[in-house]
Amino acid sequence: MTKTIRWICEKCNKKWIHPIETCLYCNRKIIKQIGTKLKVIGYTKVNIPCPPHPLVPYNVLMLEDEYGNRMPKKVIKDYKIGDIYEDKPDSSENTISIVKIKYDFYEAVKEALELIGDIDVSENTRILIKPNLSIPGYAYTGICTNPKILNALIQYLLDKGAKKENITIAEQSFFVPLEKIGKKSGIDNIIKKFNVNYVDISKTEFEEKQEREFTFEVSKIVNDFDLIFNVPAIKTDMLLGIDGAFENLTRFLSKKTFDELAKDVKKAVMALSVLPNMFPKFITIGDASIGMQGNGPAQYGEPGFYNMIFAARNPVVHDKAVQEILCLRKLPYVELAGKLSLGENDISKINFVGNELDALRRDVKQPIGSKLIKRD
Amino acid sequence: MERYVKGVGMTKFSFEDRSTHDMSHEAIQQALNDSDINIDKIDAAVVSTVDTEINDERQRMYGPVLSSLLKKKIPIIRVPAVCGGGGAAFWTASRLKYNNVLVLGVDKVLSSPTQLITEEIMNAGDNFWEQEEGVIFPAVNALVAQQHMLKYGTTHDDLLKIAYKNHYHGSMNPKAKFFGKKISLEEIKNAPIVSTPFNLYDCSISVNGAAAVIISNDKTDIKVEGSALATDYLAPFEREDMTVWNGTVEAGKESFKQSQIEPKDINVAELHDAFTIVELIAYEDLGFCKKGEGAKLIRDGYTNLDGKMPVNTSGGLKARGHPISPTGVAQIVEITDQLRNRCGERQVNNPKLGLTHNVGGAGGTTTVHIFKKVAG
Repeated sequence: MTKTIRWICEKCNKKWIHPIETCLYCNRKIIKQIGTKLKVIGYTKVNIPCPPHPLVPYNVLMLEDEYGNRMPKKVIKDYKIGDIYEDKPDSSENTISIVKIKYDFYEAVKEALELIGDIDVSENTRILIKPNLSIPGYAYTGICTNPKILNALIQYLLDKGAKKENITIAEQSFFVPLEKIGKKSGIDNIIKKFNVNYVDISKTEFEEKQEREFTFEVSKIVNDFDLIFNVPAIKTDMLLGIDGAFENLTRFLSKKTFDELAKDVKKAVMALSVLPNMFPKFITIGDASIGMQGNGPAQYGEPGFYNMIFAARNPVVHDKAVQEILCLRKLPYVELAGKLSLGENDISKINFVGNELDALRRDVKQPIGSKLIKRD
Repeated sequence: MERYVKGVGMTKFSFEDRSTHDMSHEAIQQALNDSDINIDKIDAAVVSTVDTEINDERQRMYGPVLSSLLKKKIPIIRVPAVCGGGGAAFWTASRLKYNNVLVLGVDKVLSSPTQLITEEIMNAGDNFWEQEEGVIFPAVNALVAQQHMLKYGTTHDDLLKIAYKNHYHGSMNPKAKFFGKKISLEEIKNAPIVSTPFNLYDCSISVNGAAAVIISNDKTDIKVEGSALATDYLAPFEREDMTVWNGTVEAGKESFKQSQIEPKDINVAELHDAFTIVELIAYEDLGFCKKGEGAKLIRDGYTNLDGKMPVNTSGGLKARGHPISPTGVAQIVEITDQLRNRCGERQVNNPKLGLTHNVGGAGGTTTVHIFKKVAG
């Protein structure tokens, strides 16, 4: 649900719109005040575009919650004063939630999951989280999954009743020792903080699976969990268009399979389009808190500062929506996956919750150099 | 410490493609000539300029740039406060214990298309709560105007009368962008919508320019009677009442207290009319009328050139133009010229007390200065 957030001193009730630890006046603890009953108290229709907001007209609503706290909200739909503003959660496969982070990663991750119908977690739920740690990069570069996102997700799972013993972070890198990436990205600190399990997928057992003409060696680890979170760092990719839900799954494959696919890029794109079939159902949480633009997915890309989190139950829906939001060219593997009925890739049939598509679209620097990206 | 204005100077505010060096030189030379001193007598300088990506001469170290121009190794401080930078620079300079202090505001903002300037100016709002939600500056001010309309019955026609007044004044100012160009109320009312309810004439016009003032301990005919700077929360939505700009209230109170005069004593004022609503709210927050009665002042012609207290005889940000940092300095140029009776056809009848009100952001940083005509 779209919500207002204020950080309030438990003693003197002074409010901040930015998170702080202690009250500067009484040095007391700060508590969060979350408003969810939002009423439209003002609006303006904007006709002037600018690079982060290229589509006009759009509306900026002034919303006020049950505590009298206000926040602006960009929408395309027209509202009038006195209207109630609410998001309707939707757990269907063709839904994607998009949340803009308002300084608080925990609330953003929580909101993104709630908007896709939330998750059922008990103390016995075995949870696997697959971040993107394939190349070393500091958090601010957007190369790896932001540790703040991982921190928020684990905390949310624990708050929902999960046991830390039942939470596993799994990743492998085909290029660099995993320890090096974990340290540089800051993910190591999160793993230590929560004392959750950390598995190098390359050291797990693999099993052969067949899909169409492709043979994949897939880590058996994916069979051991009740709930899987695929948490890619959203990046432009010179070869694939973006690194999103699909690309992040490749590190569940053996290096042998990966190397085999890497020999023929066209074949790799086709294999990628059927890859989700190798796995049990999973939820994708796209980390675009920093994000990347330009010649990603590594050091030649530039931070995008998208400040968004995506959540979807279907990877086709997820990657298609990301492509549309960032105004990137069509992604061949998503188009193919759509044709193979792996998920909805008709943007008009994808249900956006949290924010409207046209309120989010922005031009980013395109990845160049790929001969595979279809010019449309 | 008693402070006086020795001399003033400014370029024409225009779309002309001039370097900041060139514009600075012209404004400084005029101020030196007006002061009847040469550059040897300048002991320190305070410069305000924005650090922008949108022109062809981005320069963060403007102090040393000014040192190169002046060919002096005196203390030079840079005081950026976006649109309020000029006033903040003057406020800072008036507190320095040097005899003659040069205050310079200079900006070249017109090197880019409107959408890039719009984005650049939007960066003066809160990053995640406002910028991410498309709250460009016309939008945030339009939202404030709407709240004022809802609360006090102010109409859009009232606001457009402010635009008409300032354009009429500006048409008589040779340094104004709109010099010699009379705009009818009909044209103003029929202008394209920028951000409802605002149309083009509710918004000030971006220009290039420079303005300079020399402050001195030496007694002159223009005494700085009051000098105050105050701040308010960055985002209007965070304030208790969006229609009260506390920076203006506090800086106004302090400046009047220092001057030992009341608002009714002011003969001429330059108020920050980045948007029509900002001037109207300033009427109220500076105490020229009761809260909510700002519209009455404009309806009654109180602030017209022939009114009880003419406001923005220069044309204001609306018609003289708004080059960002130079604006606050240019206001002091106008008030000095008015008190020295050298404003030609826009001259107010023998004013003794003048006020300037300069705002950075949507009420974030505000300076109020009061000047008195004394025996030189």
